[in-house]
Amino acid sequence: MDTTAGKSKDKRVEAAISHWAPRFVANGVPLTDFQEVTAGCDRWEDWCAAWSARAAIHEALGEQALKDGFKLSAGEHYTRAALCYHFGKFLFVNDLEQMKQAHRKAVECRNKALPLLDPPGERVAIPYEGKHLYGILRKPRGAAKPPVVVMCMGLDSTKEEMDDYEKRFLKRGLATLAFDGPGQGEAEYDFAICPEYEKPAKAVIDFVETRTDLDSGRVGIWGVSFGGYYAPRAAAFDKRIKACVALSGPYQRSASFEGRPVMNVEAFRVRSKSANLEEAGKVALRVSLKGIAKNITCPIYIVAGTKDRLTPADAAKELAAEVSGPCVLSIVEGGNHVVNNLWYCYRDQTADWMAAQLGAPKR
Amino acid sequence: MPDARVQSAIAHWAPRFVSNGVPLTDFEEVTAGVERWEDWCRAWCARAAVHEELGRRSLADGYRLSAGEHLTRAAVCYHFSKFVFVIDYEQMKAAHRKAVECRNLALPLLDPPGERVAIPYEGKQLYGNLRKPRGVAKPPVLVMCMGLDSTKEEMDVNEGVFLARGIATLTFDGPGQGEGEYDFAIRGDYEVAINAVLDYVGSRGDLDATRTGLWGVSLGGYYAPRAAAFEKRVKACIVLSGPFEWVEYFDKLPELTRNTFQVRSRSRTPGEARSRAATLTLKSVAKNITCPLFIVAGKQDGIVPWEEGERLAAAASGPVVRCFLEDGNHVANNRVYRYRSQSADWMARQLSVTPV
Repeated sequence: MDTTAGKSKDKRVEAAISHWAPRFVANGVPLTDFQEVTAGCDRWEDWCAAWSARAAIHEALGEQALKDGFKLSAGEHYTRAALCYHFGKFLFVNDLEQMKQAHRKAVECRNKALPLLDPPGERVAIPYEGKHLYGILRKPRGAAKPPVVVMCMGLDSTKEEMDDYEKRFLKRGLATLAFDGPGQGEAEYDFAICPEYEKPAKAVIDFVETRTDLDSGRVGIWGVSFGGYYAPRAAAFDKRIKACVALSGPYQRSASFEGRPVMNVEAFRVRSKSANLEEAGKVALRVSLKGIAKNITCPIYIVAGTKDRLTPADAAKELAAEVSGPCVLSIVEGGNHVVNNLWYCYRDQTADWMAAQLGAPKR
Repeated sequence: MPDARVQSAIAHWAPRFVSNGVPLTDFEEVTAGVERWEDWCRAWCARAAVHEELGRRSLADGYRLSAGEHLTRAAVCYHFSKFVFVIDYEQMKAAHRKAVECRNLALPLLDPPGERVAIPYEGKQLYGNLRKPRGVAKPPVLVMCMGLDSTKEEMDVNEGVFLARGIATLTFDGPGQGEGEYDFAIRGDYEVAINAVLDYVGSRGDLDATRTGLWGVSLGGYYAPRAAAFEKRVKACIVLSGPFEWVEYFDKLPELTRNTFQVRSRSRTPGEARSRAATLTLKSVAKNITCPLFIVAGKQDGIVPWEEGERLAAAASGPVVRCFLEDGNHVANNRVYRYRSQSADWMARQLSVTPV
């Protein structure tokens, strides 16, 4: 008799599966990988190792392709490897050593992919508070001085997850600069979550201005999940930002973490460098657009899902009601967090909209 | 509890639908909402209409790239509504018309764009979609053979892999397939259809006919090597989970697959279908294949036994790459990353394209 039959999965694994399947797949994890890895993982403690093992398969395929001289294939395999390593560690703050190791691999694989991609990417270092933030800059083929979209990550996303989103902007003639800000990806070790995200955004746009190959007169900003708060927050302060896309971001966080998945709460606590939930709650309270969003004068495109269990669609409505500039409010019926289940209802649409705001010809 | 045919469709086809462009949530929601097989076509058409509407709106707004992607998704959903839906021919035809209409609308909007072409064949025509890689004057071309239930409207992702590597793609509906199924029955001697397609390729001044490859998926994984055995204009051939001797396990095929074969081979009875299945054979001809072959088979294939790939590999006379995947299902759609880019890179090399 199989003694494992009927054994239930731990709640954290179930929560991860139920919240994240559409996100993983829409962002490039092969469906069978998602099904097999999560089916084989009963305890949350095994999550990071299971995903890292799957990532290693893609990494080896990338190495083989590169050895055979097939750069395009190698870039795609390495990107999938980076993605699987990334999802191995995205919320794995319960074991920071394991998390760091998987993170190093995610960054390493995506870095290997960058020169092989079409269009290629470039790793950039952005001066910030005496240290650096790291980003990935990609420019559309055939454009001399393209406009650029600065891409803000969320609580658990990092620049290594962004290939699908980047491509949609690149195809429409926009450069992309996805970066890890304070509390995010490569920056989470040196810098705590910073609700006053206008500070790192300023550093990024200052950096854009030093690049003669980008049109710093046409800068857009984009943010996903928690980044859907960071991006409009920055737009309220930095008038160099000409347009903003906000995906499922909060408007005003409370000090309470009640009802939120335990891994997300822990990720927030750890990445805000809080010793306990009380301290973390104080950081959460600073996450606010109230009285600030009125300073957003650039056009904004706000996306929310009616079935979002992390950030209610009401946050989008509050933001839309307060901004001073033109606003597209897209509340997708049946959409989950970041509407990853119905991505075709906003991914191309927001890219087309951003291209229009930044004066790129319609494609 | 859904009926057995619905369960069978879900069990066999989830990875194929998703890896060929159906959004995961669409697959989950549409199949969860279908209890009876009789409702399958209608449910997928309703979802397809959502994508069609998004596409038409993008087009009206002047966003051609987005429109092309939405309309391609619409075509894929319409296609899967009717792919093995031979129980109601009128419904199948109506959905098929929509699939073709949406993909045709998408063709000029794609990057690179596609062109609908008509290929003279037995006094009538076969229809295909031709796409050429950007920036190549006279590219080599890959002729893509569909299977029992796939059609040219399902091929966007597969086309993209070759286009990105500098190879033009000509996906076409042959006898018993897609637009070719109304005028022509399935035929075992598929070299006749390929002969017509290669004549057509030779008539085009914008393709390098001396560098023609062949590709076939599922039953097309029989058609392609069958044609390569007769047609020396074929320089290389990719075979995905194709049969060697179709009749040998014909009786063990899923019911939907057998019924579909009966209808598309224009057989009146299961017995007649079985006789027709016996004409799909490589046994006596595989030795005449001299061009290089890349053979993909999944050892977990529940439709075409993977050993069929080995039989072909052993019988062919030219060089063979065996890509037999321990954990692969039919067409290894659950392991696309183990063969899609690899076979495309291999084909590019066979057709003397500079590696990218």
